[in-house]
Amino acid sequence: MPTKNLPALLSVLLFLLVGTILFFKEPKRVDFSTDVKPILNKHCISCHGGVKKNGGFSVLFEEEAFAVTESGQPAIIPGRPGQSEIIRRLYESDPEMRMPYHRPALSPEEIETLKNWIHQGAAWGKHWAYVPVREPKIPEASKKPFASILGKSPISTIDHFVFQKQIENGLSPSPEEESLRLLRRLALDITGLPPSEKLVADWNGGKLTYDQAVDQLLSLPSYGEKWATWWLDMARYADTKGYERDVSRTMWPYRDWVIKSLNDDMPFDRFTVEQLAGDLLPNPTEDQLIATAFHRNTMNNDEGGTEDEEFRVAAVLDRVNTTFEVWQSTTMACVQCHSHPYDPFKHEEYFQIKAFFNNSRDEDTHDEEPKLRLYSEEEKAQVQKIKTWVDQNSNNEEALAKANFLTYLEPKYHAHLCEDFVDAELIDTKWLGMWHNGTTYLRNVDTQNSDQLLLNYWADIDGTKMEIRKGGPEGEILSEFTIDKTEGRITRAIPFKEIKGKTDLFITASNPKAKPQQSTSAIVWFAFIKSLPGKNQPEYLSIEQQWKDLLATKPVTLPIMIENPDFMKRKTNVFERGNWMLLGEEVSPKTPEGLNNWNPEWPKNRLGLAFWMVDKENPLTARTLVNRVWAQIFGRGLVNTLEDMGTQSDMPSHPELLDHLAWKLMHEYDWSIKSLIKEILISHTYRQSSKISPELHQKDPENRWYARGPRFRLSAEQVRDQALAVSGLISNKMYGIGVMPHQPDGIWQTVYNGESWITSEGEDQYRRSVYTFLKRTSPYPSFISFDAGSREVCISKRIVTNTPLQALATLNDPVYIEAALKLGEKMSQETNKDPGTVIAETYEKMMLVTISESKKKSLLNLYQEALTNYRSKPEELKEFLQDKKVEGNPELAAYTLVANAMLNLDEFLTKS
Amino acid sequence: MKRLENLLTELHRTQLEKQTRRHFLLDCVSKMGGLALAPLLFGCETNPGVPKVQGLQLSDRDLNPLSPLPPPYFAKAKSVIYLHMAGSPSQLELFDFKPELVKYNNQPCPESLLEGRKFAFIRGVPNLLGPQSNFAQHGESGAWVSDYLPHFSKVVDEVAFLKAVHTDQFNHGPAQLFMQTGSPRLGRPSLGSWVTYGLGTENQNLPGFVVLTSGGKTPDAGKSVWGSGFLPSVYQGVQCRSKGDPVLYLEDPKGINRDLKKTLISSINEVNKAEFEAFGDPETLARINQYEMAYRMQIEVPNVMNINDEPEYIHQLYGTKPGEEAFANNCLLARKLVEKGVRFVQLYDWGWDSHGTDHDTAIDLGLRNKCNEIDRPIAALLLDLKQRGLLEDTLVVWGGEFGRTPMQENREGKTMGFKGRDHHVDAFTMWMAGAGIKNGSSYGQTDDFGFSGVEGKVSVHDVHATILQVLGFDHEKFTYDFQGRPFRLTDVEGEIIRDILA
Repeated sequence: MPTKNLPALLSVLLFLLVGTILFFKEPKRVDFSTDVKPILNKHCISCHGGVKKNGGFSVLFEEEAFAVTESGQPAIIPGRPGQSEIIRRLYESDPEMRMPYHRPALSPEEIETLKNWIHQGAAWGKHWAYVPVREPKIPEASKKPFASILGKSPISTIDHFVFQKQIENGLSPSPEEESLRLLRRLALDITGLPPSEKLVADWNGGKLTYDQAVDQLLSLPSYGEKWATWWLDMARYADTKGYERDVSRTMWPYRDWVIKSLNDDMPFDRFTVEQLAGDLLPNPTEDQLIATAFHRNTMNNDEGGTEDEEFRVAAVLDRVNTTFEVWQSTTMACVQCHSHPYDPFKHEEYFQIKAFFNNSRDEDTHDEEPKLRLYSEEEKAQVQKIKTWVDQNSNNEEALAKANFLTYLEPKYHAHLCEDFVDAELIDTKWLGMWHNGTTYLRNVDTQNSDQLLLNYWADIDGTKMEIRKGGPEGEILSEFTIDKTEGRITRAIPFKEIKGKTDLFITASNPKAKPQQSTSAIVWFAFIKSLPGKNQPEYLSIEQQWKDLLATKPVTLPIMIENPDFMKRKTNVFERGNWMLLGEEVSPKTPEGLNNWNPEWPKNRLGLAFWMVDKENPLTARTLVNRVWAQIFGRGLVNTLEDMGTQSDMPSHPELLDHLAWKLMHEYDWSIKSLIKEILISHTYRQSSKISPELHQKDPENRWYARGPRFRLSAEQVRDQALAVSGLISNKMYGIGVMPHQPDGIWQTVYNGESWITSEGEDQYRRSVYTFLKRTSPYPSFISFDAGSREVCISKRIVTNTPLQALATLNDPVYIEAALKLGEKMSQETNKDPGTVIAETYEKMMLVTISESKKKSLLNLYQEALTNYRSKPEELKEFLQDKKVEGNPELAAYTLVANAMLNLDEFLTKS
Repeated sequence: MKRLENLLTELHRTQLEKQTRRHFLLDCVSKMGGLALAPLLFGCETNPGVPKVQGLQLSDRDLNPLSPLPPPYFAKAKSVIYLHMAGSPSQLELFDFKPELVKYNNQPCPESLLEGRKFAFIRGVPNLLGPQSNFAQHGESGAWVSDYLPHFSKVVDEVAFLKAVHTDQFNHGPAQLFMQTGSPRLGRPSLGSWVTYGLGTENQNLPGFVVLTSGGKTPDAGKSVWGSGFLPSVYQGVQCRSKGDPVLYLEDPKGINRDLKKTLISSINEVNKAEFEAFGDPETLARINQYEMAYRMQIEVPNVMNINDEPEYIHQLYGTKPGEEAFANNCLLARKLVEKGVRFVQLYDWGWDSHGTDHDTAIDLGLRNKCNEIDRPIAALLLDLKQRGLLEDTLVVWGGEFGRTPMQENREGKTMGFKGRDHHVDAFTMWMAGAGIKNGSSYGQTDDFGFSGVEGKVSVHDVHATILQVLGFDHEKFTYDFQGRPFRLTDVEGEIIRDILA
């Protein structure tokens, strides 16, 4: 053995020696979370847990575990393993008595652990992930054992934690990666693109330190575009509503908000609060309202015959589940039906969390209201003017209500709330259609003492007499009006009798001109908004006209979250066994017992919930973010189960490192994601070579101990963006409506949906993948074969797979052929160089490493065979070039084929 | 058109000379010899050997996640053909004969049946609607089948009917998801994904889970009904299309001949091999394998998807017309695909939503036409599989996502111009045939109006449990860990329907 490894060996020996001495010195102190809980979860909890409590015994919660069981005694008696039924039953010889019931017995070691635990007092403990983050001690700098490997490379605190584990596992770090390969890795990780030529030149010329290169890359707008994909997977961002009809929706302003916020390095606590509750912030800005679209990415069901309430509830439950997966690495879906079988979340707690989300205005309507009206600057000024007017002529509260109504048209009552139809219908289960002499009720309405009704509708015939009465057919007439034919949908102000309190509205229509069973109009919604004050003022008419004009404009609108006003608040009940039709007891908003405390100063709504999430005592938020950012870079998390940190999750490989970064994120970096990323990227752990020796693979196939650098296939988006970038096709245009690059014909075949894929023109074909239109029931085909999802539900982990369909895409998809052609054109212009040199130079530009002789030979061979082929078969050359609408010679075709091959190489498709 | 029976004799004769699928697999190497690449890792074996790289221990699945695995328990079936009639056909016109409904035709539905029930479109008190077809008993089993399905009536002794299936979803999207993924909400893997995850597939030159659609539309629930949910995406269904490339990007760009493509892929893999030697990442071996498979798929898929070369009697048997996107063509393709070792073939036919809003959705008009489109092909598929010995290890499943009401639809309280039935969750008919199934049997019964099951009621989970059982899985043990718990296709439910198992 070379002596240079001696220090490493010695420290291993020392470690083992110390461990052995400690082991013999005193019986091991049993830790509940790491030693006992896994045994209980493995053997006991399926019959004695959240779902079943056989014999009246459960080991899910502390109070249950020590409670009296059906036998009249507690099953665990601290300090007395001999008298504890839980132990006695493990030894039973009668198979009807021995636990686990009709399953293999516990091992002697497991029984010993349980006995020792009870003997030591049966202290209940918290799962590591539910304990607040405390600053861990950084292990002593242990660069020494690896001095020969590390040379002069600097090491960071991350490395101390990593080296420590490597020593424990008999591993040592790899040396630093080749310089340019490392630059490519950095650029791909930060921007999702290869480094620019300028950056390569500066790097090569020594004009940049490593740190400066990282900073420079982090400051590029492409950083936000790359990392947005990660967030949008969790936000389930898509450009269509999902479910059967799956028609388009405008969500892209939210996508753009994510890109901008990441580029601005918006602190993660603010990033959280604005998305979960931007609407509840005082005087929210337009951007803060846009942020709330995070939770309007839920699907919206337009299928005929569906009940909107069912899918409103489905969306609310999805918000609960998504919020807890995204911020808390916690699976809430099971708690919907019963207490969590493994984690400390109770059935009713699920609905207490749901209560935070159950009072948003959205109701699964076809129009997806509430929607933010993205006005032009001029229109915004008009809104402001009206607000000021109302403030001056009435009061501030009234002014705010008017401005809000102009901004998102709330509050209002949707037609689907109508009931007891007689000669009336809900057209396509969406809009109120009244036939001649039809009646219906809109119940429990609070008109807010308003003197006018704003009615949104369209009509195909003239002369329908409408009446709205209080309470029923004999009630007082509150409004009478005529509906005539309209051109499209309109919002019309109709005088309404001022009444106080909640009332049932009885609505009638009559129009002898209507055919039998013909709807006289289609009513979409009813809003009770007082008319503008200041009617005696000279300017009134102009203000009123502006109000009308603003309501009539059709700006871009974005679904957002708006909270119900008090008079529209919904109650929240437990759903018995998760069934939304079986209502149990009523609950109010509350966060789970097992996590951080609630600060009484927080409002009991989504805003309070968001504050609770980003409170520094919340044990899960920072750990979750660190784990997911780490996984973006290393391909696996410090906790491998990215979606879950509960008691059934994988133990963290480096618990102290996880806590160290989580602590730093909150207390030093003030939740800056860029700082966290930089911290990881400057570590030696990141900068290592990604070479894998068979020995290393055998010891650590998944690279759990990070004894080599990250190496894995690029994501669907990166694969495409990189090809566009190296060929020079890529467009740097940012933001805006989703684009439609080339896709084969006949992919979209959605039922009851007239939309089609219309290939974008010009540079929009070559935009970064984050801007590609995403249709949920039919996503962009080459992305789904490269493991991107359909964004119907929150995805916190993409599983990387390899299939022949991916190879077919990068070999034959026209966008890759076009990229190859662009490269081929450049190569064929280098007529003064021999093909070998041209190939080597192109390869080096693409991969940022020198080509090996054998690789060059293979590619040159391809070039020569292709050249011979096209020289001898001009008809094939013609066909090849015509298809791509270019002119050229056999050299162009042959180089294009070489480029086609290079775009498919493992080293190109892989970050290494 | 020749009579089916004559066609069958002809088929039987030629079959004796045909190879079975097992032979195909053995023949693979010699057949591919002329076309294949000089393989860098392995040849065209269906279960490629693990490469011998010193010190590197890899499983087949490390290199190819679709490599075949033996089922955990004894399996009757090796492959599945699932025929899903999207929109949901009326059991009351096809299989569930209710003379009482004839008697009470056009009478108001008893309120007791409607109490506490929700329907998608029916409002108030609708009228009962008698069957619009004529029923007779067929075969030795005496199964009731209507005159909407004359050809199918002749093969009833091959199938086992489930007459009292129920679901809890009355909208198409959620109900299709429930039927195909075991959950009405998104995010779960489809049945076909579970099966290919558990068993891999026999022929690596074809996708393991193939989806074929007809009727001009994809199912209401979108591609999620063949999605892989939380399973790796390699297990999602691959839609093979009748128009354009059968598999996306299968065809080479114009002006690149096969030899050149071969050189291209060989060069890629030579470079990849050098990369592996330099970096030692087993992922690179998977990549090499992936490109070899892609190349072979380019040959094999167009071959299997091309029905032009099928003999005339086969076209007559199925009623196929090459070049169309038709259910008949898909049935023939399904046979070809399982013959070649594809694990799971899923057919979706759209257009079964017989609400009676127009001619096409009228229970006495449009439904009859839809039945015409499937009747002959399904009978042909069962017979063709049987004659080739493939029915012995292929399970065939037929059904919709729910049933249809014994009442005539009165959409939003309106009188309708045509006769139709609304969505119905309480009872509907499915059938299975082939491997492991007690043919010529029927299980479950509905009440006099066909409204609810009265005996032998089975749930969607029960159907799944039974399918998995036939494939050699214990549905309670076949799990995948996700979000901190083991997930099952059947969630926490599902009982095997033993009465229809052979």
